Amino acid sequence: MNPRTLGDELRAAAARRGDHDAIVAGPRRLSYAELDRAADGFAAGLRGLGVQRGDRVAVILRNGIEPAIAIYGALRAGAAFTPLNPTAKAHKLAHLLAHSGAIAAVCSSDIAQTVGAAAVKAPNFRHLIVAGDPIDGSRSFEELVSTEPAAMREVLDVDLSAIIYTSGSTGMPKGVVFLHRNMRFVAGSIVEYLGLHAGDRILCVLPLSHTYGLYHLIMAVRVGATLVLEHGMTFPGRIVEALEREQITVLPGVPTVWQVLISLRGLADRDLPHLRLLTNAGAALSVSQLAAVRRTFSQARMFSMYGQTECKRVCYLPPDQLNARPASVGIAIPGTEVWIEDEAGREVGPGEVGELMIRGDHIMQGYWNDPQATARKLEQGRFPGDRVLRSGDLFRRDREGFLYFVGRTDDIIKSRGEKIAPREIEEVLYAATGVREAAVVGVDDALLGQAVIAHVSAVEGYALDPLALRRHCAEQLEDYMVPKTVVVHAELPKTDNGKLDKLTLRALGPGPAARAGCV
Amino acid sequence: MKHSQRIGVAVRDEIRAFIQDTFLYMRPDLELQDDDNLMGLGVIDSLGFVELVEEVQSRYAIAIDDIEITEENLGSVSAIVRFIGAKRRS
Repeated sequence: MNPRTLGDELRAAAARRGDHDAIVAGPRRLSYAELDRAADGFAAGLRGLGVQRGDRVAVILRNGIEPAIAIYGALRAGAAFTPLNPTAKAHKLAHLLAHSGAIAAVCSSDIAQTVGAAAVKAPNFRHLIVAGDPIDGSRSFEELVSTEPAAMREVLDVDLSAIIYTSGSTGMPKGVVFLHRNMRFVAGSIVEYLGLHAGDRILCVLPLSHTYGLYHLIMAVRVGATLVLEHGMTFPGRIVEALEREQITVLPGVPTVWQVLISLRGLADRDLPHLRLLTNAGAALSVSQLAAVRRTFSQARMFSMYGQTECKRVCYLPPDQLNARPASVGIAIPGTEVWIEDEAGREVGPGEVGELMIRGDHIMQGYWNDPQATARKLEQGRFPGDRVLRSGDLFRRDREGFLYFVGRTDDIIKSRGEKIAPREIEEVLYAATGVREAAVVGVDDALLGQAVIAHVSAVEGYALDPLALRRHCAEQLEDYMVPKTVVVHAELPKTDNGKLDKLTLRALGPGPAARAGCV
Repeated sequence: MKHSQRIGVAVRDEIRAFIQDTFLYMRPDLELQDDDNLMGLGVIDSLGFVELVEEVQSRYAIAIDDIEITEENLGSVSAIVRFIGAKRRS
């Protein structure tokens, strides 16, 4: 069989090594044959509910075997999956379910009421599918998975495979649209430069609801490797234990993960003979953090990488270049090209700063239901169908062609490896009583990458309480978006044309005091 | 009350105060019980545990190994107090 779709890749893995562990999550293990059978069952269950080719199925699950089954089941049914963060608040879920036009959502029982309520206003929504104890009006995920597999219309490589939401600078997240073809291409390219193979055992502490985590599932299935899933880094002792017990060979992380790991006592002395490969993305590690990671895991090779949801991955630094250029994010991934343009659209030379442009089959089809935003991001290339992605990020390259990230052209904040639109937080702050002005900026932070700092001023006659404003944010926003510090000013600084001056606010740094003191 | 029990009570109060000041100021309506699961209630996240470990190490002059940062040892106020007691005796 020549695999054309993501579902075909699972079929091929099950045919090659059916007994091999596909997913390990806590005490639960699923072989490739079992994952393949479960995906077929869930696909037949979805078809029985009326799910058709091109429909969207939201997957709102924490790391475990369920999201793997839900994703491959939806794909086999000809639907696209939309991974959503299970910690997202109700109003955000409501927006995303409506915007994606999801027909169904899969979630765990603890958030079923929230998801059900969020889906009420989503016009296409019909089926709430709950893993664990169902609620009134919901379907049981486990029952659907046990549906007798049925013959289905063939899924094509040009069918919709996923809509993945990512924060944009203009408020609510944008839905990035991919076909099977795009996702298979980029997974193949990453597998190639990392040298992943069927013997690998990948430990993923990153959420599958996020592209960095998600692609470890796609890549593991592609090569028939084992994916060991954990829920984040909460108890690092569990992670250390999993590294040893599961004989992990590949560990992907974001700076926050590495910062936690390098702070652990005794980890550097541990013998982890199987661990051969580390990858970092989401945000850059500082040169000193990178050195600490390499001391802690001295036998493993580290890949520094850069990407964005709109094309998944852009470039990587071959580990043999790490000593010579520790701050570089390397070269374009196999099968793609990148260059740097100035504002007039001319390619710039070594050392000059410009916007990074990306070309290859990994780039998205566009933003779901947002032609204006798509037109700003995707450019017509040199012939019909040739498309170029504007990264929106400023880069330079050295004489040998290696790339260096310089900064963003928008004001997106990267914290804990998550992209955060300041405007989304500012809108929540403006909705709080007594707030006259609000400006949210990111400042460098060793643990977080960037810390979210909110600067506010009060309507006359109001006294603002920073703590109360943080609580207000915590009620409305995902945890990683809640400002670490809220600084109250008499008035916020302005630029000459009267806009809030974020450069000046950013230069103020983390604010007058840390967490417990000033809030 | 025996000496060791008094120390246990002091540690418990100090740990509760630390958690209250550092994490619970965002949750004024939550009355934390000693056996409550700190992660399950969403009181502390992964970065919070790093802060907690640093605090416990410096305040009680004990060294916590990587593999010891588990739910059994740090998952609740009671667990933390037990863990500190055991570490100080060892």
